Amino acid sequence: MITTTFIKVNRVELRNISKSFGGIAALKNVTLEVIAGEIHALVGENGAGKSTLMKILSGACAKDNGQIFIDGNEVQIKNTYDSKKLGIGIIYQEFSLVPALSVAENIFLNQLGATSSWMNWAAMKKKAVELINNIGFSINPSLKVADLSIAEQQIVEIAKALSEHVRVLILDEPSAVLGPREIQKLFDTLNRLKKEGVTIIYISHHLSEVFRIADRISVLKDGTSVGHLPVAETSRDSIIRLMLGRPLNAMYPLRDPVIGVEALKVVDIHAAEKVKGVSFSVKEGEIIGLAGLVGSGRTETARAIFAADRSAGGTIILFGKELRLHSPQMAVSKGIGMVPEDRKQHGVILSLSVKQNISLSNFKGITDHFGFINAKKEKYNTAELIRRLDIKTENENHETGKLSGGNQQKVSLAKWLNRDCRVLIIDEPTRGVDVGAKVEIYNLINELSHKGVAIIVISSETTELMGICDRILVMRKGKIQGELTKEKYSEEDILRLSIGATLNTET
Amino acid sequence: MNIKIYPKRYIQFIIKYDTVFIFLVMLIVSALVSDVFFTATNLFNLIRQVTPVGIISMGMLLVILTGGIDLSVGSIVAMVGVLCSLFTQTMPLYLAITASLICGLLTGSISGYLVSVQKMAPFIATLALMSIIRGLGFIFSKGAPILVSENASSLTDFGSGNSLGIPNPSLILLLIFAITSILLKYNVFGRIIIAIGSNEEAVRLSGIKVNAFKFSVYAIAGFLSGVAGILTTARTAVGSPVMGSGMELDVIATVVIGGASLSGGKGSAINTLLGVLILGMIGNIMNLMNIPAYSQQVIKGLIIIFAVLLQRFQKNSN
Repeated sequence: MITTTFIKVNRVELRNISKSFGGIAALKNVTLEVIAGEIHALVGENGAGKSTLMKILSGACAKDNGQIFIDGNEVQIKNTYDSKKLGIGIIYQEFSLVPALSVAENIFLNQLGATSSWMNWAAMKKKAVELINNIGFSINPSLKVADLSIAEQQIVEIAKALSEHVRVLILDEPSAVLGPREIQKLFDTLNRLKKEGVTIIYISHHLSEVFRIADRISVLKDGTSVGHLPVAETSRDSIIRLMLGRPLNAMYPLRDPVIGVEALKVVDIHAAEKVKGVSFSVKEGEIIGLAGLVGSGRTETARAIFAADRSAGGTIILFGKELRLHSPQMAVSKGIGMVPEDRKQHGVILSLSVKQNISLSNFKGITDHFGFINAKKEKYNTAELIRRLDIKTENENHETGKLSGGNQQKVSLAKWLNRDCRVLIIDEPTRGVDVGAKVEIYNLINELSHKGVAIIVISSETTELMGICDRILVMRKGKIQGELTKEKYSEEDILRLSIGATLNTET
Repeated sequence: MNIKIYPKRYIQFIIKYDTVFIFLVMLIVSALVSDVFFTATNLFNLIRQVTPVGIISMGMLLVILTGGIDLSVGSIVAMVGVLCSLFTQTMPLYLAITASLICGLLTGSISGYLVSVQKMAPFIATLALMSIIRGLGFIFSKGAPILVSENASSLTDFGSGNSLGIPNPSLILLLIFAITSILLKYNVFGRIIIAIGSNEEAVRLSGIKVNAFKFSVYAIAGFLSGVAGILTTARTAVGSPVMGSGMELDVIATVVIGGASLSGGKGSAINTLLGVLILGMIGNIMNLMNIPAYSQQVIKGLIIIFAVLLQRFQKNSN
């Protein structure tokens, strides 16, 4: 670990912070030093503990152990009020705006009633406009937040944080929903704030951004700090190696696809407002990826194919036969499986055991004609899957909710291995999963495709899609914006397609 | 202080088996406060009294396990009781019983249809049916109790008789309890019912016909309410349109005392049966002590609150 010593004081210092959730350690003795007036990037894989660390600093989450120093003095941050008093402002990944209120009300939500019980609409709107203009944007302060685009909501979040006098501003993945031009404006604002003396902690896993904006980088991996480096003295590759614990290419299995006949073809799928005419096909043994921004209709497309939501139209052809699917039950009986995006809500039932979850997708092999479960067969069947997927659990009767995220995800996958699917849709296969389990899940997906299963992977992590898919379809606003074949993969092109920009290569 | 650790362990044990604990406490208290409690006649009466609630509670347990509720059960008892008496006057007995059972099943199926296919809130759907069916009971009987036909004496003999020293209707309760217990523990049906109550959407996305299972629990609850109605009519030889009023609340209370969660996914047949006995004992012992009916209601309510609070501790200690 290299820590460059400046004469400058540390504005924020976190020392030996630990935090665990239900027996699973999210942070282990993490140390972070942020110098006054710098832009400090905090990077790491999903689930590395970045957000948790910042929630502790902002008082949204209590630490188990460790100390927090502001300007060299130890402070106690027990709730968000404490952190606000210390001048810490945070913009979360999930917005904390009230959709039903106006932009101006949201910006001043924390200060409402502070001086008077009566609303001074004119003054409030004027100040809101000033704040937003200062960041380089213009949004009508009377609009309801619900009517804003996600990017605009992000701007309102930033204005809200700046409306109070902040000395430390934390931004948790602020660029995820912004287009390139908006990102540039955001960076201009951050640089201006930096000149005004605001210390900024910038969380991201987009290294290209980090290298553009940050002065120093701290890397978290699996809840521990693995490096603190000035940007000038490091390179992308060394940061990636620190983040992953291995070089990027070792994360993904070698693809040697054996492509068979066309397994699933969807034509002109429509669903609610979110999917407006999606067509594609996937062959046996093929893995295709669906990329796109959040809200681009990827998940809704998957749910429409699986008949989880009522489809508004379109044709689904499975092995040359047109299907009319009215329920997930029909989709499953035809050999389509789906690992849902939201593992805790839809993928597994947290209060039930691993065994009960796995069996839920298929009782056929373990029951008699009257539906009585053969305990021995069930135990054998589940134990076999637990072994095959290397699910880390005491035994098959362990409560699924007590497993780590990665192991819960494996249970969610195991349900579909328990039932031989011919087409498997996997929505966000590794969200909130640690690196080790990620690699295992990638290998498993690869292995399944070798057995001839046609696989559709949806993911917000572009590198993941590039690592495991044979083709990537990029969605935007409910339509397929473009398709990239393996030899043409580039993170930039996927991003460009997903925000509707033209491709560099197409000129 | 090491000493404190041991009581904690006992408390945890008690919390884990809270229903059994309450049952035992009730048993001891009953034995202490009344000499009559442990007499054969009283126990016989107690068991006979709780039987209708007990039978329906098994159906209610299934409904509650899916996260639903059925308020119409008491009304079904009355309507099926009235219909059964009427049927005995015009049909052979076996046909009268079969027709009555089908009526119970059908009324339950209406709730099931409204809840599963029409996605109506169970509380609302069964509240409406509670009113409709109670009304139908009065309409069919023209507001008066209907006597069971003299030709159906084998029904009334069965209803008021006993075998092996146990009232016949209670034997049927035991049979229904055994079936429910086995279904919940060893059958896919029980597995899926509990899963639906834990997370319905996850079950649906696993490719299971959630609607069919939700439908069936209400149908079963209706059927069992019908059974209870027939047995009550058989015991008293009268089918009355006022039978079973307020019974739905007793049934729900027994399931809750038995540790089931009203949000679904948690509960067992044996604990529900204990809940039935606990509630029955509360009423029984207060009668023996000559506590006035109004005070009984208050005490009953307090005991339900206590039982549910105990379960809250259990949740928190996890």
